[in-house]
Amino acid sequence: MDMFAILATVLSPKILGTIFLCTLYGSFVGAMPGLTATMAVALLVPFTWFMDPVQAAAAIVATTTTAIFAGDISGAILKIPGTPASAAYVEDSYRLSQSGKSRSTLFAALFASVCGGVIGVLILALATPLLANLSRSFSSDEVFWLATLGLSCAVLVGGPSVPRNFASLLIGLAIATIGIDVAVGHPRFTFGNLELYDGVSFIPAMIGMFALSELLRNAALGHQTKLVKLTVEPLGEALATATRRFGQLWKNVLRSASGGTVIGALPGAGADVAAWIAYAVSRRFSRNPEAYGKGHLEGIVDGGAANNAAVAGAWTPALVFGIPGDSVTAIAIGVLMMKGLTPGPDIFNSDATLVYTIFGAFLMANILMLFAGGLVVTLATQVLRVPRAILMPLILLLAMIGGFAITGSTLAIWIILALGLLASAMLWAKIPLAPAILGIVLGRIVEDNFMVSMMKARGDLTQFFARDTAAVLGALTLIIWALLLYRALRSFLDATTPHK
Amino acid sequence: MQLRRDLIVGAAITALAIAMIIATQGFPRIRAMPYGPDLFPRIIAGGLILSAIGIVIEGLRSLRAGAAEAGAPPAPRVTLGAFAFVAVAALVAGFALLLPLLGFHLAAALVLLCAVPIFGGSLLLAVFMAAVVPFALHYVFYSLMRVVLPWGVLTPYAW
Repeated sequence: MDMFAILATVLSPKILGTIFLCTLYGSFVGAMPGLTATMAVALLVPFTWFMDPVQAAAAIVATTTTAIFAGDISGAILKIPGTPASAAYVEDSYRLSQSGKSRSTLFAALFASVCGGVIGVLILALATPLLANLSRSFSSDEVFWLATLGLSCAVLVGGPSVPRNFASLLIGLAIATIGIDVAVGHPRFTFGNLELYDGVSFIPAMIGMFALSELLRNAALGHQTKLVKLTVEPLGEALATATRRFGQLWKNVLRSASGGTVIGALPGAGADVAAWIAYAVSRRFSRNPEAYGKGHLEGIVDGGAANNAAVAGAWTPALVFGIPGDSVTAIAIGVLMMKGLTPGPDIFNSDATLVYTIFGAFLMANILMLFAGGLVVTLATQVLRVPRAILMPLILLLAMIGGFAITGSTLAIWIILALGLLASAMLWAKIPLAPAILGIVLGRIVEDNFMVSMMKARGDLTQFFARDTAAVLGALTLIIWALLLYRALRSFLDATTPHK
Repeated sequence: MQLRRDLIVGAAITALAIAMIIATQGFPRIRAMPYGPDLFPRIIAGGLILSAIGIVIEGLRSLRAGAAEAGAPPAPRVTLGAFAFVAVAALVAGFALLLPLLGFHLAAALVLLCAVPIFGGSLLLAVFMAAVVPFALHYVFYSLMRVVLPWGVLTPYAW
C-alpha cells in the first residue's frame, strides 16, 4: 500500500473539490426540514455514476456526514429536526436558540460532529483490516449466517415494534426475489417484463423509497414552515463561546463518539439510534440531569458526536462483510457494486489502496465539514427561507431523471413510483424503511449462499453449523432470534392477560 | 384507531404473502434437487404471515392500553393534502408515459407547470421554472454527463 499515492489522491483537486461541493450540498439538504441525509445521497447517486469509485465514495461520505450535522440547524431554529438523527436533542437546541444562543449552540454541535466523525473514521480505519483478516476464510455457510445475522440485528434494533421491523425486512427480501433465480434460472415475479429479469434496479428503488416518499409526504403536509424572528449572537462571540463550552465537554465527545461508532456498525441501527442512546447515556452520567430537555448543551454535544461517528461506524460491516450498517451504506454498496467493486474481505486484498483512499476521503470530508457547516450555520436563517415551491418540484424532477439516467429506461420511473408509494404506505403503517433496504441489498446474497449451502449439504440443515466460524455466527443469529421470539411472546402475553 | 390500522396492515401483508405463495405454484423444479426457486419466496411469505399476526396482536394490545385514545378519533377526510399526494404520484406516472413521446424538455416543463402550484407556488413561478429548468437540467445531464435524454416530438430540432 502506497501511502504517498493515497495522500496524493485524497488531496487531488478533483477529490477535494468533490468533497467540498458535497459538504455544501449535504449541509443544504440536511438543513431543510423533511429532506433526510439518505434522500440527499439517493439524489446524488445518478451523478456518482459518472465518477470513479473513490470520487463516488468521497461524494457519498461527504454528503452524509454534513447532512447529519446540518439536521441540527433546522432543529435548533424551527424545532423540526432536518434529519431524524437530530431528533434526540431538538428540544435542548431549540430552547437555546430561543434564548438567543443559536449560533454558539450550532457551532458547538458542529465541533462535536467533526470530532465525532474523525474519531469514527479512525476507529473504522483500525478495525476494518482486523475484521477483514478474520473473515478471509469464509465459505457460503459463514456468508449466509453473517448476512442473516445482519438482517436479524436490523429486526432487533430497527424500531420499537419487532413485528413491524420483521415485516419491513421481509418486504425488502420479497422485492429482492424479483428476477432470475439462482437455482434453476427461472424468472420470478417479473410479469413477463424482460427488463425485470436482472431484478429491481437498486438505485431507482432507493430514490423511490427515500426521495419520492419524502416528496409525497411533503405534498400531503402542504404547509410552508414559518420562520420566527431570531436574535443571533455576533459571529466572533458565538465562536468563542462554542469553543469554550466544547473544551469543557471533550470527555463527552470521546465517550459518545466511540459508542456511536459501535452502534453505527450494527446493521439497522443508524445515526438516529446512536444519538438517542448517547443522549440517554449523557443524561445518566451528567451532573445536571434535570437540565436535559430544557436547553442544555451537554446532550447536544453528546448526540452530535455520536450521530456523526455512527456514519463512519456504518461503513465497517459494509466494507468488511458487504453488509450495510444503515440505509446510506446500503446505497454506497450499490454504487460500489455498479463500479465493479464488491465490498467484502477480499476488497482489502484486491483494492486495499482504494479502501484506504476512501478512509482518507472520509477524514477530509469531516475536516472540510468545519467550513461548509460553519458557512451554513452563519447563513442559517437565509438557507431556511428557500421556498418549498421551488425546491420540491426541482427534487421531483431530479429524482425521476436520476433514475432514468442510471438505467436509460422509463421502467426506472415506474419503479420509483411503485416503491415511493410502497414506502408511503409503510410509513403510514408505522413500518420502518431501513430493514426493507437491507433486505433489498442482502436478499440476493442470503438466498444465493443459502441455496449453495443447501445443495452442498443435500438439505441437511445441521451442516450449516459444521464449520467453527459458521457455528459461532449461527449460534449468535439463533440467540438474536430467541431474543426476538421472547419479545414477541411477551407482547402476546401482555395482550391476552386480563387487566387487574 | 390503531387497531383498525393494524388490522388493515395485517390483512394487506397476509394478502401479499398468499399472492406470493400462489405465484410460486407454477415455478419449475429439477428432479435432482429437492429445493427450487419457490423455496425462498415461500419462506418469506411464511414470515410475512407471522409478522402480520404480530402486528394485529400489537393492535389488540393498544386497544387494551388505549383508554387514552378512546376520545373519538377524527374520521379520515379527503383533504387538500390527500389531493396533493395523489397529484404528485400522478405526475410521476405521467412523466413516465410522456417522456418517450414528448421528449424530455416538454415532459419536464409539464411536470414543473403542475408541480409548482401543487407545492404552493404561483402560476408565474411555474411558467418561469418550466421555461428555464428543463434547459438547465438538459445541459447538466445531456451535455455534461452524456445521459441520452429522449427528444420525442422535438427530435427534428435536436442539438
